[in-house]
Amino acid sequence: MASNKKYWTSAAELKNSSIVEKLSKTEFVGEIPTDAFLGDKETLETSSTSRRDFLKYVGFTTAAASLAACEGPVIKTIPYLNKPNDIIPGVADYYATAMADGYDFANVLVKVREGRPIKINPNKEATSDNGTSARVQASVLSLYDNNRLKSALNNKKAINYTDFDREVISKLDQVSASEKKIVFLTGTMASPSTDKLLAEFKVKYPTAEHVVYDAVSESAAADAYEAIYGTRALPNYDFSKADVIVSIGADFLGDWQGGGYEKGYAANRVPKHGKMSKHIQFETNMSLTGANADQRFALKPSEQKFALVNLYNAITGQGLASKATPQDAAIKKAATQLKAANGKAVVVTGIQDKSAQLIAMAINDALQSQAVDLVNTKNIRKGNDAKVAQLITEMNAGNVGAVIINQANPVYTLAQSKEFVAGLKKVKLTVAFAMTPTETTKEVQFVNATPHYLESWGDVSITKGTYSLMQPTINKLFDTRQFQEALLAWTGNPTSYYNYLKNTWNTDILKGQSWNTALHNGTFKVANEETTVTPNTVDLNVAASALAKTKTNALELAIYTKVGLGDGQQANNPWLQELPDPITRTSWDNYLLVSRADAEAKGLKNWTVDNGALNGDLVDVTVDGVTIKNVPVYIQPGQAKGTVALALGYGRTEGMQKEMQTGVNAYPLVNKVGGNVTITKVAGEHQFACVQLQHTMMGRDEIVNETSLADFINKKKEEYNPSPKFSLDHKEVSVAETDLWEKFDDTIGPHFNLSIDLATCTGCAACVVACHAENNVPVVGKKEIRVSRDMHWLRIDRYYTSEMTKEKGEEEGIVGSGKYFEAQTHPEDQPEVSFQPVMCQHCNHAPCETVCPVAATSHGRQGQNQMAYNRCVGTRYCANNCPYRVRRFNWFQYAQNSEFNFNMNNDLGRMVLNPDVVVRSRGVMEKCSMCIQMTQATILKAKKENRPVNVGEFETACTNACSTGAMSFGDVNNEEEKVAKLQDDNRTFRLLEFVGTKPNVIYQLKVRNA
Amino acid sequence: MKIVNQHSPIQQLTKLTFVLLFIFSTSLFAQQGDAANGKKLFKANCAACHKLDKKVLGPPLKGVSEKRDRKWLYSWIKNSAEFIKSGDADAKAIFEEFKIPMTPFPQLSNKDIDDILAYTDDKPAKKAASGAGASTKVDPKVKLGKKLFKANCAACHKMEGKLVGPGLKGVTERREKEWLHAWIKDNNALRKSGDAIAKQVFEENGKMPMTPFPQLSDDDIDALLAYFKVGDVKKVVKNTAGVNTTKKEKKSSGAWMNWVVILVILGLLIWMFLSKVTFLKIIATVFLLLVGAYFTFDWLMGIGVDQGYQPIQPIAFSHKIHAGDNKIDCQYCHSSAKHSKTSGVPTANVCMNCHKSISEVADDTRVGALGKEQLDKEIQKIYNAVGWDSDNMKYKENYKPIPIKWIRVHNLPDFAYYNHSQHVTVAGIKCQKCHGPVEKMDEMKQHSPLTMRWCLDCHKATDVNLDNKYYAKIHKQLSEKYGVEKVTIAQLGGKECGKCHY
Repeated sequence: MASNKKYWTSAAELKNSSIVEKLSKTEFVGEIPTDAFLGDKETLETSSTSRRDFLKYVGFTTAAASLAACEGPVIKTIPYLNKPNDIIPGVADYYATAMADGYDFANVLVKVREGRPIKINPNKEATSDNGTSARVQASVLSLYDNNRLKSALNNKKAINYTDFDREVISKLDQVSASEKKIVFLTGTMASPSTDKLLAEFKVKYPTAEHVVYDAVSESAAADAYEAIYGTRALPNYDFSKADVIVSIGADFLGDWQGGGYEKGYAANRVPKHGKMSKHIQFETNMSLTGANADQRFALKPSEQKFALVNLYNAITGQGLASKATPQDAAIKKAATQLKAANGKAVVVTGIQDKSAQLIAMAINDALQSQAVDLVNTKNIRKGNDAKVAQLITEMNAGNVGAVIINQANPVYTLAQSKEFVAGLKKVKLTVAFAMTPTETTKEVQFVNATPHYLESWGDVSITKGTYSLMQPTINKLFDTRQFQEALLAWTGNPTSYYNYLKNTWNTDILKGQSWNTALHNGTFKVANEETTVTPNTVDLNVAASALAKTKTNALELAIYTKVGLGDGQQANNPWLQELPDPITRTSWDNYLLVSRADAEAKGLKNWTVDNGALNGDLVDVTVDGVTIKNVPVYIQPGQAKGTVALALGYGRTEGMQKEMQTGVNAYPLVNKVGGNVTITKVAGEHQFACVQLQHTMMGRDEIVNETSLADFINKKKEEYNPSPKFSLDHKEVSVAETDLWEKFDDTIGPHFNLSIDLATCTGCAACVVACHAENNVPVVGKKEIRVSRDMHWLRIDRYYTSEMTKEKGEEEGIVGSGKYFEAQTHPEDQPEVSFQPVMCQHCNHAPCETVCPVAATSHGRQGQNQMAYNRCVGTRYCANNCPYRVRRFNWFQYAQNSEFNFNMNNDLGRMVLNPDVVVRSRGVMEKCSMCIQMTQATILKAKKENRPVNVGEFETACTNACSTGAMSFGDVNNEEEKVAKLQDDNRTFRLLEFVGTKPNVIYQLKVRNA
Repeated sequence: MKIVNQHSPIQQLTKLTFVLLFIFSTSLFAQQGDAANGKKLFKANCAACHKLDKKVLGPPLKGVSEKRDRKWLYSWIKNSAEFIKSGDADAKAIFEEFKIPMTPFPQLSNKDIDDILAYTDDKPAKKAASGAGASTKVDPKVKLGKKLFKANCAACHKMEGKLVGPGLKGVTERREKEWLHAWIKDNNALRKSGDAIAKQVFEENGKMPMTPFPQLSDDDIDALLAYFKVGDVKKVVKNTAGVNTTKKEKKSSGAWMNWVVILVILGLLIWMFLSKVTFLKIIATVFLLLVGAYFTFDWLMGIGVDQGYQPIQPIAFSHKIHAGDNKIDCQYCHSSAKHSKTSGVPTANVCMNCHKSISEVADDTRVGALGKEQLDKEIQKIYNAVGWDSDNMKYKENYKPIPIKWIRVHNLPDFAYYNHSQHVTVAGIKCQKCHGPVEKMDEMKQHSPLTMRWCLDCHKATDVNLDNKYYAKIHKQLSEKYGVEKVTIAQLGGKECGKCHY
């Protein structure tokens, strides 16, 4: 379109492989699964059942079925005996609460129907910015996990809490008497009331100690902050205040330091008055943040450390000890831009090294960065690696009398897991608090089953001065007890935790303000009295020389977390397992990311098989003596040469349903980042569930659209965002004038449009999970995904492109050099990434509607393309005729079918279903409805309140979940609505506009500040 | 040469068609009439001069079709004067007997007359135990007393058994007349005056002062006391065989005609199959197939349509008593209807709002075959569900409640979305429009077919409620577009698939 860039979705496509050609021409790559119900060919041939017999059976069963159908089932309706006042059956209630599981922290608004939480929405009026990520959105399903612990256990036998407490207290007393340590090993709780309880526990048992442990540690950053400012915390960042952002290995749009930065980041990514932020990323594997960067440079983990010091030197002009890196030119350029930004600049790093974090803080100090907040610090990563290591040593030395574990699964997540387990054996009392059986609960004496956060009371302070309340939204499903209630019992405090929490808040936090208001809002903000913090001086020379000693290896290891599973706590959640990774577009797996160059050198391959599915080689990975066997290899464009990367959170087995036991456990390598990797190819091949080659748009290339900031400012709209032109009577005319169709009257009443801004869409996939939850989208499992039968109504396409054009080569003066040749031959080594969420485009001239033989899909006046499932006979003509590949066919019955043993196959898991949306049955087509149940509910609400619909009142599940505001939804016939104003925006385009479908989904093109 | 006199197939076909047409038309007419319609017609046309079982101006009409030939009746009713003139002996005889010519009714079709005859053939329902209570004479004073009791006392007192206050039957025997007068008029003053009995009554009844009734005159109180003395006159209801609803045999002159027609058709078909003419066999087969297809299709279309579904509920709850006789608003119990998609089966606490003080039904209450004895047990079922101790007027402690498992009468399929509040609150539709005369139903019954056509027929015919401000703009635009003054729901979009199916 505007640029002459070539976009591709996979290396295979880039190389014009014949399979891609074939795939782009086939509708459904797999054959119709007749085998599944007819049996295989051999059985069919040898079967004694002849065709005539078959017809007889069919005849009989039809007759039998219709006879059975005459008698309708008797349906019971059982009302409440005493209806709670605030519940009206059929009307949803919303409760503000907070999620805090030690890894994900968020202020949420929970939608509750008849006492069942069914959907997590972001609490948009909260005082701290953490939005709802894919995992937060999916957490409601973890509540209905069939594998949860249903009662307390003592040596794997059920025990009631009275006996549990009696035995634990007697042992605690003995331990206390012997003056051995009682250690609480917990994840970051950031809970003021729990901290108070632990302090009270220490009064009763003076040997008590609290060790905070984060599975995915940010200990280095906290250490650095502690070294300078004396307290253990993390600086907060406001990326909206930065015009230049340089990140060295920090995935701040992902899980870096607890996340929650995407809103501030996105605020400055749309050009306003010709200005937007510039984002430069140096990293090893392609992260979500790297994918969003204006410029991305691949560096090994060891080189990142040198780069950071080099950046410091370039900014301050000092000469701290360092080494050269391949990207020093880019570092120098970045330093100039950082300095020029005049305080509106920030540098962040994800290197897990105290020295590196110290230098990063020094850089921000030197830049006088306005984006760093050192006062209102973040509380959600408090883990201390040194103390954890010390604990393991002491346990093995026999100095620890009791270990009480909460919100942590150290046996699974510790690199020193074996030593930890050995140490546990030497401890007199071991207690674990857990929601599901874990690797840790297997190794301890006492297990206290804890409730899900949606069943609990609690509080959390995400940043200093902001407080959130957690309240139960459902009665406890099982015989569970909170950690805090146990502490109260063990300290002999007879008050309930609710009263304790209320008292703590009233005296320490609210100080006279209303408890009920705070509970209603879910959050409360206290003005921070401190405005500055005084730094201690730190010798950067020591830090830099420590960094300079880092050894560079030929093949280095990087460890990362994925958007789907994170640290692996929610690995038994089918929504998260099925969620395609935004970068690799692969679900149900983790894999070793390898660069193209290394793969070629080691003879590792990925290949696409005939049905469009991706297969790959398997390797054994050894780092510093630790080996992980049979790891699949995934060749990742943009991966730094000489590095491999593996995601955490997979490979769990305890408390996991068989289907969810996917991937390999990378935690044994978690402390070996940058370590020397040896990989050995082993026999066999791995089958990926990768959706990247599926649903191709039939070779139509002009799909994603982007421009550079320079073009956006200097050129006319027609040049960087031209609308398609057609020839009519030898004149060039626009799409509107060449319409073959009769115009649909869309001027009356609400007419919905969905707008997606590609400049602020980070690809975080929260919308995908929100859509799952809202619309009862089924989970189909790995096998089905492999054959293109995923059911996601909303997919986020990821496109790669190369920035190396001839012009750019000339500009950089590398044309003719080997570097230019390399960039031209292997554009996948340094790709740029574009994300594009695609759902049903709700065409005003929909190709699907005209081909349906039974009129099951039709157009509504409100702009929604409607799908009547009960009318659909499953011809799939509509999917065949859809240029956007957004229609999904129910190849099987996904609910109440043991072949698909996910949440819809058990009574508990089905409690999450939205009662306003039908569960589709086998043989019907489904697709995005533009959340018609939500728009209808909004209209009904207005009608009942006798008023027109307010501006901004219409919402869909995806727009509600979008933290950056990239998605907006509304009525285009109301001029006040954002989507109405965006119709004629210079950046607005429509997907495949030249096809003439007149979509009701509009996109704003991405602007790259290159 | 042998000459075979053979009808051409075409001739045969024409004949057959006529035969079939004739059979069909007669069978249609011969069908037994609709008694309900007949009743209407009877009231409009005949009732001025006739009764069913008594002679008025004309003879009683009950069972008239047994006395006379149906054809004779058609002629007589349509124009009796002409008929008499035509010389019919029976007609003349009737004229001689009554001397007044009957008004002719040429406007009535044969079908109408069939309907009327169906009505007149029906035996009028026996009035159950009608005379039983009538014979007992009630003193007007007692009657007045009962009225006053219901208006003033019944909120807290029953005649027998304690409610908030003590049972009042026979109170005149326990207390002096003067004392009662004083007490009723102002019990507080009486107590303050130091009356020992008054104090004792106060203590006995949970120290709750009774509402004073200064507005009651002495006569009123005398009437009340008279009522307290006598109490209700018990009506003895005999459980006669007539009360038990035995299905009445409907005698109909049309019934045998139907059988005749069916037999004729069957005979004809058999004849056709037995005949040697292949063409006839083909026709018969085609006919059988068509008839078969018709019935199969009709049957298939009826699957899942449960109009008239009337399951027996776990509690013999009567909508007639609650919504009909006592005029309780539908939405008092079905309170979700105005807010929610479901109307809400009332929760037991809603029942208890009233049934705390209503633990038994009035003596003559009947629901179907159930009398007072059984119905009181039905009320007890609510108490069992929630754990209410009706003797001590309080909830039992530590009682494990038992949910009431009602049977859903109206079942929409999962794929159809229906919202009560849209229809009740926004459109302002009366419940009866879809649910029928619920206030007349003892056992709830599905009144409407609940099919999609039924929904859409209403959407096409109903205008948008213009009082609602939401519709203001859209209605103006739509009425201009369609050139109509009032826009129907269907024109607004109420016919779109996605409005109900998602």
